[in-house]
Amino acid sequence: MFKNHIKIAWRNLRSDPKFSVLNILGLSVGLAITLLLFLFISHERSFDTMYAQKENIQRVLLFTDGDQGEETWTNAPAALAPAIVADIPEVKKASRMYRHNFGGNAFVKAGDEQFIEKDLYWADAELFQIFNVPFLRGNGQKALDKPNAVALSQSRALQYFGTIDIIGKTLNIDNGLELEVTGVYEDLPSNSTLDAAMVGSFKTLNFYKNPSWSNSSFETYIYTVDNTNIDEVVSKIQTTLNKNVVKEDQWYSFGLQPLEEVHLYSGGYLDSYSKRDGDINEVRNLTLLAFLILIIACINYMNLTTARSQKRTKDVGISKTLGASTQSLILRFYTETFLITGIAIALGIVLTIVALPFFNDITSRTIVVAEVLSPTFLFLLLGVWIITTLVAGSYPALHLSKFSPKEIMNPSPARKGAAKLVRKGLVVVQFAASVILIVSVAVMYKQMTFMQTKDLGFNPNQVLAINATVALENKSEDALLNKFKNNPIVQSVSLAQGYPGLGVSGRTLRKNDQDESGTNLQTNHSDAAIVDVLNLKLLAGQPLPRVKQRSDTIVEVLLNKKAVAYLGLSPEEAIGKKINAQLGSNAYIRGVVDDFNFTSLRAPIGAYAFHNRPIGEYKNYLLVRFRESDLSTTLSTFEADFKEIIPGGAFDYSFLDKNTEKLYEAEQRTAQIGLIFSILAIFVACLGLFGLAAFTAEQRDKEIGIRKVLGASVFGITKLLSTDFIKLVGIALIIAFPLAYYVMNNWLQEFAYRISIGWEPFIFTGLCALFVALLTVSLQSIKAALRNPIGALRKE
Amino acid sequence: MLLQLKNIYKWVTQGGRRIFLLNDLNLEVQEGEFISIMGPSGSGKSTLLNVIGMLDGFQEGEYDFLDEPVHAMKEKSRSKLYKEYIGFVFQQYHLIDELTVYENIETPLLYKNVKSSERKALVADMLDRFNIVGKKDLFPSQLSGGQQQLVGIARALVAKPKLILADEPTGNLNSQQSTEIMELFRDLNKEGVTIIQATHSESNASYGTRTIHLLDGMRDRSKE
Repeated sequence: MFKNHIKIAWRNLRSDPKFSVLNILGLSVGLAITLLLFLFISHERSFDTMYAQKENIQRVLLFTDGDQGEETWTNAPAALAPAIVADIPEVKKASRMYRHNFGGNAFVKAGDEQFIEKDLYWADAELFQIFNVPFLRGNGQKALDKPNAVALSQSRALQYFGTIDIIGKTLNIDNGLELEVTGVYEDLPSNSTLDAAMVGSFKTLNFYKNPSWSNSSFETYIYTVDNTNIDEVVSKIQTTLNKNVVKEDQWYSFGLQPLEEVHLYSGGYLDSYSKRDGDINEVRNLTLLAFLILIIACINYMNLTTARSQKRTKDVGISKTLGASTQSLILRFYTETFLITGIAIALGIVLTIVALPFFNDITSRTIVVAEVLSPTFLFLLLGVWIITTLVAGSYPALHLSKFSPKEIMNPSPARKGAAKLVRKGLVVVQFAASVILIVSVAVMYKQMTFMQTKDLGFNPNQVLAINATVALENKSEDALLNKFKNNPIVQSVSLAQGYPGLGVSGRTLRKNDQDESGTNLQTNHSDAAIVDVLNLKLLAGQPLPRVKQRSDTIVEVLLNKKAVAYLGLSPEEAIGKKINAQLGSNAYIRGVVDDFNFTSLRAPIGAYAFHNRPIGEYKNYLLVRFRESDLSTTLSTFEADFKEIIPGGAFDYSFLDKNTEKLYEAEQRTAQIGLIFSILAIFVACLGLFGLAAFTAEQRDKEIGIRKVLGASVFGITKLLSTDFIKLVGIALIIAFPLAYYVMNNWLQEFAYRISIGWEPFIFTGLCALFVALLTVSLQSIKAALRNPIGALRKE
Repeated sequence: MLLQLKNIYKWVTQGGRRIFLLNDLNLEVQEGEFISIMGPSGSGKSTLLNVIGMLDGFQEGEYDFLDEPVHAMKEKSRSKLYKEYIGFVFQQYHLIDELTVYENIETPLLYKNVKSSERKALVADMLDRFNIVGKKDLFPSQLSGGQQQLVGIARALVAKPKLILADEPTGNLNSQQSTEIMELFRDLNKEGVTIIQATHSESNASYGTRTIHLLDGMRDRSKE
């Protein structure tokens, strides 16, 4: 019996190749997209699950106070970790992590070879006790016990030394520190938040010797004993803080975040060192997208199958008169669906594997084919297979099998009408879903364009940021500066601690001594030329002085408008006023610049200051504004200039405009995935529409024939057939627009600077949907209209 | 003369062999005639009607309609010609299920771009004439076979054609309904409408002014 079902299903597939191809293609494209998204989602959700003690690991969060909204940092002061391990019994271990140079690159010398290392961390020995990273050489538990020790990942070891048997060998960092290799660990998997390629021992750093409570730059993980009450620990941390820091200097408080939330639930947190940041919203959006596309694909199947099964009603009727039960017919239709979805899934897997490299590229993930074929995923696939079969097969199976034989062979108009209504409804749902996708993508792109073209208050184009750390160690920064000043391509050049888009030092700006909370002030140690280099608009006063003696105790400060406004002053009034901003007791306002977006457009502009206080922060970056010219020659002359001053120093640079774009990587990614997938979704929806149009044309064969005999033109018939579908698309638009508006309005709330949605995305989407639908339908309609009417009329 | 067919050949090729549907067929029709075409199934009655109605082409021969050569015409002018002068009545009525009686009758006028007020008048005339005013808002499925055929004839007549082509118009009707329809045809013919009907029934054929017998696509002169 079952064999028979399969045989019939197979023959049906082959007897109508056009429908079968549409059906299977639509379903497999939909499934492939769903599979890719599930892969991405499960990859995101699997973050940090490989660590055996994951349930006992927490990350310390720091909440800043301030009038202008609180910020959450993922860094803590260096003094915190030892203090809480000593004070709080539940906290067994703690490890501080510091990304080299606050996220900058390191120059590594191994033997005679130089490398630029982007992923160098410094951490306490406890790091590898908390995170059980497997070690291939050396003892992970003790690898970072001593100063000047370093552990390398396997791939770095191979890159630097060509072998992993390198215990005891030495590396040179930034032409200064000599580190001894004490361990080699397995490369951290791509779903580990910890992304260090090299970890040096924290004891090497000055931060270890003099841990402070003010500089909060250290990502801190703690290991708590089983069954710890986290709230209690948090309050104990506060007690420790109170013990060590006087109330007035506490510009922050602490919290804890379980490791399992670190990857996805850190959206909006600042200063995370890991480059592998996830976003629960992205995961949620994509999950929704996956289901939406799966639904579209299933509806496609239902539509095409019911359309086709009308042709087969006679065969169902005959089976019934021959004694087939309703159950056996249901089983038969499900068997057919199961077979087709099976083929579609197989094809979908192939498509998934083919599309994977491309998908990895746009998602910047490294999902491997093995993940597609892993048992858990195949198990999930089986689930998708069964669910798709049940959902997609439900309508044909239940709808057709219930009919009495008489009705099937000679359907009553009411039945026909109901079936038609359901099919139309399905097409509307399908199109509405596609329209929501397109509108969303259009809005995303509008926002992206807005962010890329918005006047940021400074000009990031034609500015190169060159890592000047090496020059600092050689005390050759002035020589470097002069060298670049004399280069004719260079317009202006400045040395600064950081640049917009890169975190600088956080301080607190207070109106006066009574102002306890103050506001958070980003401070950037720089020089006079910064105003020219960044094209900042000076509102009052002057730029920082050109010459500054190291012995000079007066600190000049260039504030932005926001900071001055916090002080309750106009730009003109502010000039010459003393300022209380943890910049020493002799800090004066020298100039005021207009506000500029120094962080991403997600956040509103806060208070910002350029200053020339010589102690504390280093000016790590040489910022060069250059004239328009051939880029490769520009870069090579710059490199030559750089190498002339610092022979052997690695030339590490980035473009400011590229750095600014990087701030929106996650959104770009979502928009890109969304764009591709919504094109595919509308393609699948069109397959459904195509099938339905073909079916309707077939069903109205007789009517078309009559009308032609009565004198209707081809255009008239095409119009007649298309109008109905256009109406459906119209209804879909009406349903989808408010939903899309609602969804995208919510999405836009993430941005402090955002577009108004406007009508363009809707007009664009509406026209797109109508055009594509019209194209699809008219193909069928014209074909039907051109047919000789006699054939249609002779039937019966 | 209304129309003239000269040496018409029409065939289909099946398995490499030509099967003739119309074989050297000649026919002249004067205005005002009522012609019955008789012959067994497959003798080419319907094919002949389709050719006369310009719904179907032929391979060889000449066809003049109102002294215009139909065989040399393009599709567009042909369709203009038959829209203007020919009305069709079918055995299965072929009404459009989704349209009411009124709308069905109105359809040919829509395709001839007749103005709305004129359409109303013409359709009302037809409804009056066939006594179906009361049924104008009903759908075809709500009518009996005879009534449906009445609507079919009304629809064929509404555009005031010179020629009515009827393919077994009473094939699906009982004898009483048949008689009514045939008497209607006779009345129409008396008013000047040329009618060509294909039929199996001798009694129906007897309403005509002339009978043509077909066999295997040829005139069966022995019976005429």
